[in-house]
Formats: sequence, structure tokens, C-alpha cells
Amino acid sequence: MKRSIELYGRLRDAGLGASLRVDIPAGANVRGALKALKISLGAKASLIDGCALATADAVLADGDRLPSGRLALLPPVCGG
Amino acid sequence: MRRLTLITKSRLDLASVCRAVSDPRFGAVTSFMGSVRRVHAGRTVRSVSYDCFAPLAQKVLADIAARAEARWPVRVAAAHRTGRLSVGEVSVIVAAASVHRAEAFEACRFVIEDIKHRLPVWKKEHYATGDGRWLPGCSLRGRRR
Repeated sequence: MKRSIELYGRLRDAGLGASLRVDIPAGANVRGALKALKISLGAKASLIDGCALATADAVLADGDRLPSGRLALLPPVCGG
Repeated sequence: MRRLTLITKSRLDLASVCRAVSDPRFGAVTSFMGSVRRVHAGRTVRSVSYDCFAPLAQKVLADIAARAEARWPVRVAAAHRTGRLSVGEVSVIVAAASVHRAEAFEACRFVIEDIKHRLPVWKKEHYATGDGRWLPGCSLRGRRR
């Protein structure tokens, strides 16, 4: 199943655009989705090291089932 | 009274944020204000771009303020700027008010530290040499809240 994943921070400057379309197995959890992302990025796979998946409401844990709706890939944060 | 927590492209104003926590019951108001500095790690900075996952950032900032208010007898307000800021411009303001100063100082510190560690905001420094760099930060992976 193709899912759109929004990109933020350093990921936006990586030549990937503002979002990615990634094929993720139906029923996958977050860990599985990150693995699929890594494979789809090929030589740029290390970009997602330290990144978390999140919805508009919460950061997702590795064991969470991937919810429907908006998804974002968040690199390590540094506000302030 | 509604708590002020704000992610905005607009210029931040310390007096407005402090007003949001003022109350005749409170004798102490503390504040923290972060701004873009000219030199970082030996490089001359011209400006900083703040990127943000806005819907989540609004919720996380409200949660941080609520946690501070649950932990200390304080009222908290916080605002974080997004977009490209020049040197000297204010990027973040936190204010905490309470009956006495100790709780206000502690809550203010707690909020800015949690902003640094949890708020989905990223900054890219733009240098005088024309290049730029996204700054490293704290991973949110494995964090439930």
C-alpha cells in the first residue's frame, strides 16, 4: 500500500522533496514502515537514522500499528 | 483562563507572553527568551530557519505547559517562532507565574528544557560564508508522549 510521508528539517534538503511515497505492507507497524522507508531510500538510507514517525497528534512507538491519515518523518529535534 | 501556547510565523513579544500569565494572586513572574546569536561553534551566523511540524508542535507545546502546571502551582505561557530569523530576533519565549519565585523559576526551566527535547522544530543556520547547516538534536524515536 502506497503511503505519503511528509519530511521535515534536514530531510527537506536531501533532494527528496517535501514528502515521499513509499510502499508499506498492509498492517505494518512503525518498525516495519521504517524498514520499508530505509529500503526505498537505497543509498540515502542513513538519512532516517534517529528519525521518528508521527501523526498530527503523537509520535509513534516502534510497535504501534501504522495509523491511517497524515504521517510525518521527524529527524532529531532542536527547537529553542 | 485559557493557557497561551503558540507556534507562529509572527514576531514574538515578551510583554504579551508575560501578560498571559499575570494574575493578582501571583507575586512572581519569570521568563526565558531565546534569540538568534551571531556566532555559533566558531561560525558567523547571518540567520536561522526554523522548520516545524505545526499540528504536532501545537499539541506538544500545550502538553509541556500542562505538565509544568500539574507539577508546580504555576501558570505557564510559551511561544515558538517559525520561518527565517535574523541575528537578534527572538525564537522562543516562556513565562511562568506563581505566588512565590521558586516554583516560577523551576517551571520556566522545565518548559524550555522540554521544548528543546520534545518540540518538533528544527533549525538551520545560515552562515556569512553563504553555506548552511541543520543542527543536530534529540531523537524522538522511542518516546511515547
